[in-house]
Amino acid sequence: MQQTYTTRRGSSSNTFARNRNTVRHTKRSLGSISQIVIVSMLTLVFGLIYVAEGTKATSFDYEISSVESEITEMNAKKDDLAVEKARLNSVATAKNSTVAAAMEDATVTGYAAD
Amino acid sequence: MPRISYQHLTTATPVVSTHHRIKILKKVVLVALAIIAVRLFFIQIIEHNDWLAKADEQHTLLETIVAKRGEIYMMDKGEPVAVALNQTTYQIIIDPAVTDKDEIKHALEAHAKEYIVVDLEEVYRTEGLRYSIVAKNVPRDVANKIAEKNISAVWFQKNNQRVYPEGEMASGLLGFVNADGLGQYGVEGSLNDLLSGKDGLLKTTADVNKVALSIGNDNIKIPAEDGKNIVLSVDRGLQKGVEELAVESINSTAATNAAAIVMNPNTGEILAMANLPNYNPGDYGAVKDASAYMNYTTEVPYEPASVCKNFAFSAAINEGVMTPDTTYFNEGYEIIDGWKIQNAEQRSSLYGTINMRTALYWSLNTGSIYALKLLGGNPGAITAQGREKLYDYYYNKFRLGQATGIELIEAEGYIPDPNEGWGRDSVYANMTFGQNLGITMLQTATAFSAVVNGGTYHTPTIVKGVLEDGELKAESFIEKINDKILSDDTSAMMREMLINNRNYKVRGGIDKAGYAIGGKSGTAQVIKDGAYDDTMSETVGTYIGFVGPEGELPNYVIMVKMWGEGQYLDGGIASNLFDSLSNYVINYLKIKPKA
Repeated sequence: MQQTYTTRRGSSSNTFARNRNTVRHTKRSLGSISQIVIVSMLTLVFGLIYVAEGTKATSFDYEISSVESEITEMNAKKDDLAVEKARLNSVATAKNSTVAAAMEDATVTGYAAD
Repeated sequence: MPRISYQHLTTATPVVSTHHRIKILKKVVLVALAIIAVRLFFIQIIEHNDWLAKADEQHTLLETIVAKRGEIYMMDKGEPVAVALNQTTYQIIIDPAVTDKDEIKHALEAHAKEYIVVDLEEVYRTEGLRYSIVAKNVPRDVANKIAEKNISAVWFQKNNQRVYPEGEMASGLLGFVNADGLGQYGVEGSLNDLLSGKDGLLKTTADVNKVALSIGNDNIKIPAEDGKNIVLSVDRGLQKGVEELAVESINSTAATNAAAIVMNPNTGEILAMANLPNYNPGDYGAVKDASAYMNYTTEVPYEPASVCKNFAFSAAINEGVMTPDTTYFNEGYEIIDGWKIQNAEQRSSLYGTINMRTALYWSLNTGSIYALKLLGGNPGAITAQGREKLYDYYYNKFRLGQATGIELIEAEGYIPDPNEGWGRDSVYANMTFGQNLGITMLQTATAFSAVVNGGTYHTPTIVKGVLEDGELKAESFIEKINDKILSDDTSAMMREMLINNRNYKVRGGIDKAGYAIGGKSGTAQVIKDGAYDDTMSETVGTYIGFVGPEGELPNYVIMVKMWGEGQYLDGGIASNLFDSLSNYVINYLKIKPKA
């Protein structure tokens, strides 16, 4: 025979049966599609971050390469100017200059006393 | 129910055949898979490193970072001035089948006319030609102007060119840099390791444009070590003046070549080193005779003739067996080992008893042979002791016949052994007046410096230091020897005799008053077909001397040598060049006369 109990709160028509759980636990989880979407999104985000960082590094490398090219170019210009300066200061250039042509021959006039 | 057989309706057991084919297919597939597996095994395991290297090669940039070649400087009024520099130039290359003839012709003629190395019409007439270098040594700015025109199939090949702003000046001293970037001859050759520096290395991951990327774990960057900027002790203005006077001397005599050294006898520093005629080191390929590259002052031993009497006399005086007033009987000749050795000067006034001062002035061979006899302790004959002492002075003290140690390419030369071999007495008699030995001009000038500077041998040097960040820093790359080899008295007596050589008649009046100028000439016979040419049809003229204020130690030693194939050039001709040079040195270097 089935026994029934009345709760202390009073009897009601909704009585609890003995040996029955009063709370039902249901497994709550994301669905498989949601999981796929989330994982895909995370992968995409991390991928984008990786690509962005990689691109950033590469763009820096291009910048460095460009600066190095500029340095090389400037050094080449500096060398050109040094050569030009040396040519202009060479004995042969000085001797053949119009200024030198207009000069009179030097003579030794003597030495200052010590 | 009877079983119906269909066997008679089929041909050649089709069921069995299909299975068989499937089996074969399976086997084929298995074999194929096995082959692929084996191949993969080979690629992944056995040939792993090779494939890895191939993959690396595709995305790895491996470059040599070329070290910049050091520059060469000379001194000018106490400041270093560049005489050898680097410049980036370009070769312009075209593909005549693609490059528009009018476009390239117009561009080259407008901007790079002086650099064109081919006949463009000829290039375009040549059938099937796809590659032609049309201009060389084109400066960067000119190459840029042509590049801006974007003409099809035109390439610019970068080169590092060595530039010599002084043109031909000091070419024998400087040398040149060949197409492989290696220094040849002169300072470029001898100091190539210092000038070259050390190349660096860049190994990095690169993208398709060959731009170096910072990603990757195996990136290596070893920076290049640029070559040192070498500052020579040579004075640019003095070098130029010496060369101009030497050229004048060549033009006014039968000589075709001349060489000269100006050095400081008190330090061994070289102030000028000339080899004439010069060549253009920037266009070294145009030289027809490779002997033009030689530095005759250091690389070519010769018999300097009577200038060696200075060394024989110094040895005898230093040993205390002779003074300028020592006398001997001059007969005009000596017979030694059956050979008749005679004086070039045979005037009758010199026969009889004369002193060593007179013997040196008239450059009498009998005088220097007498010094050798005195060294051996027997005035009547040459002895083993005399030969050994002369050898000791020549080889060990004056360091003749051995490289001086200067920062240049040198020949050693040759001093005969005092005891080994036939006819040692005649060989050593000849050595007292500069024959039967081989020594370089630099060895001679360095030894002579010791004779006149108070008796100290200084290793000659041509490097003053290095230029770093525009500042001259003293640095030496050689082991310097500063040995006292003669007494002060010996040196003083030699100076007195050498001054006497010039004042006593022949050269009197040429030298400026207030200065001590001394010197000695030499006229060397040339060996032809293994023997001395007694006809004197070809001789080499030499003169060595010193310059300084009267009563003081000399400031400068000057040595000149003049020669020409088939030409008679004596010490007198060389002394004319010395006269010009000594006066030039006094004026240029502002040597004060005695007050």
